[in-house]
Amino acid sequence: MNAHLIISAFVLGLSMSGVYFLLTVGLSLCYGLMRIISLDQFLYYSVGAYMTYTIVAVTGNFWLGLLAGILTTILIALFVEKIVYKRIYEKSVMFSMILSFGVNLMGVGLIKYIWGLEPKPVKAPIGGNLNIFGTEVPGYRIFVILLAALVYLAVCYFLNKTILGTAIRAGIDDAEKVEALGINIYKLFTLTFLLATSLSALAGAIHTPMVMVVPDMGMNIIAFAFMVVIIGGLGSIKGTLISSLLVGQVVSFGSLIWAPLADMAPFMIMIIILLIKPTGLYGSKYMKR
Amino acid sequence: MKRLFNNNLSKILIIFTILYLLKYVLPQSFMLEVIILSIYTMGCSFLIGRVGFVSFGQPAYLAIGAYGTAFYLYYFGTNPFVAILVGILLGLIINIITGAFFIRLNSSYYTLCNQAFCVVSFFIFQKALVKYTHGDNGLWFLSRIDPTPVIDLSRTEGVFIFAFLVAVGVWLLFNYLMNHSVFGATCLCVKCNEEKLRFLGYNVFNIKWLAFIIANTITSLAGALYSLYFGFVSAGITAPSKAIEPVAISMLGGAGTLFGPLVGSFIFIGLKDIASQVISYWELLVGLMLIIVMLAGEKGIVGSLEGFLSKLINKHGNNEGLQATNIEGEVGSE
Repeated sequence: MNAHLIISAFVLGLSMSGVYFLLTVGLSLCYGLMRIISLDQFLYYSVGAYMTYTIVAVTGNFWLGLLAGILTTILIALFVEKIVYKRIYEKSVMFSMILSFGVNLMGVGLIKYIWGLEPKPVKAPIGGNLNIFGTEVPGYRIFVILLAALVYLAVCYFLNKTILGTAIRAGIDDAEKVEALGINIYKLFTLTFLLATSLSALAGAIHTPMVMVVPDMGMNIIAFAFMVVIIGGLGSIKGTLISSLLVGQVVSFGSLIWAPLADMAPFMIMIIILLIKPTGLYGSKYMKR
Repeated sequence: MKRLFNNNLSKILIIFTILYLLKYVLPQSFMLEVIILSIYTMGCSFLIGRVGFVSFGQPAYLAIGAYGTAFYLYYFGTNPFVAILVGILLGLIINIITGAFFIRLNSSYYTLCNQAFCVVSFFIFQKALVKYTHGDNGLWFLSRIDPTPVIDLSRTEGVFIFAFLVAVGVWLLFNYLMNHSVFGATCLCVKCNEEKLRFLGYNVFNIKWLAFIIANTITSLAGALYSLYFGFVSAGITAPSKAIEPVAISMLGGAGTLFGPLVGSFIFIGLKDIASQVISYWELLVGLMLIIVMLAGEKGIVGSLEGFLSKLINKHGNNEGLQATNIEGEVGSE
């Protein structure tokens, strides 16, 4: 194993971490504030990817596709939130898991109906290679890493420095007190859900040049997203970041050593971490429910 | 009449007699699939309705049983009964190990962990062990199954009778577990109020572990029956996209009720057979069904029907039976 391989695997791992982070930060936020596990984020991920593919096929502009993906999923999410989630916010986590999986499954069926089963390629909007310590690395991967880092900073800024973000953080700690302060918590729920959704769609859109767009792409990434969420601990942004960095590297280097290891090594790590700490690395003690 | 309907044993007898007679009306393969699927769902339904564990990873446990049977028939022997035993034993061993890990988690982590386990087992069977499992091409061993005396498992007729008898046994077991044993009551208590159970001096870990092992070994048994029925196992059996099926069927029939899985799988397979002629994407249908069932209140068909029936039957009698079903109804809505 030479240095070139290691550097390119490291960069690939980082870019995968970026996608995992964008996908799971929404799941984590939703659980933290609303105590729901929104498995339909994986549907928004695929819809974002498919919209990007469609717009790129029609206009040839990737960025337009990215925007269209995010806007479409926000519309879908508004609808789903109104029809489904409004009725189950007060109920147990089990409800949201089963229901959102139903939404996810229905969406996959619709995607198959609309776009068909064939895998669809999308060309990377940023071509060219970057030279890092003498190793040629695709520029698009660097872009994904930078974008994910930017989103992390933006989410942190939003949660820590703005009034709305402070209200959301307060809601994560104690939703009833926030309501007592006269803040409409259901508006916060909608806002958080839309934020999570748009991040998932963004993840789907920027992931398209790196994978094939297929109807089951949400199902394929589901295991890695869950591992990230579980290792990091539900409801913690910091935990999500750290575990997505970890899982990305493990997947990337695992596939370098032995292909099946890419899928199994994160699982082993998850089991070990759960043995030590059943709530994940940064899962708070509130998560007992 | 009243006593007849309030007694679960006679209910089992009546329903399974009807099931057996339905064989002469409906295609046998349909009935066989219903029976095996309902055994498969029974474990999941028990875990959801009686212990409070929702698992999106049931196909993994199904596949372990199926592959245990398949490995024996493909590589070692030809006796189908031994093969089923091997499948169950393999399932039992793996469930004891995985159970010890998963049971420590709270419910949401348990679900996500199980789904991850399902995906990983899919990768193991599809790619890592491809030398032995032949991946997506699968193992074919139908011709290797020996004809056996009494119940001939090399023919579909024999498999049907065997699966039917197994189903009766499974239902008797779960009837005892759910309604007549301390263990069933403690399981229910895990779902409703775990702290109180711990306060009463029970070892919650052991109760959960035992429930997990029993439910998922039954799932492995269903897997063994599946592989015997098809004479073929491929990695597709543990495909993660199928993970929702047992949960959906449990919810449709009524999670934690005795006959929910049976009714649920009957309707589910019927719907799937009809719908596959109209639309080719079953995900759409299953997803829609799941949303409707969950939003309509999660009692399911049997859960809602049971309360209604017992009210009808007990209208003029004493309220003994009514109370019993009311308690069950409350449990369903918990």
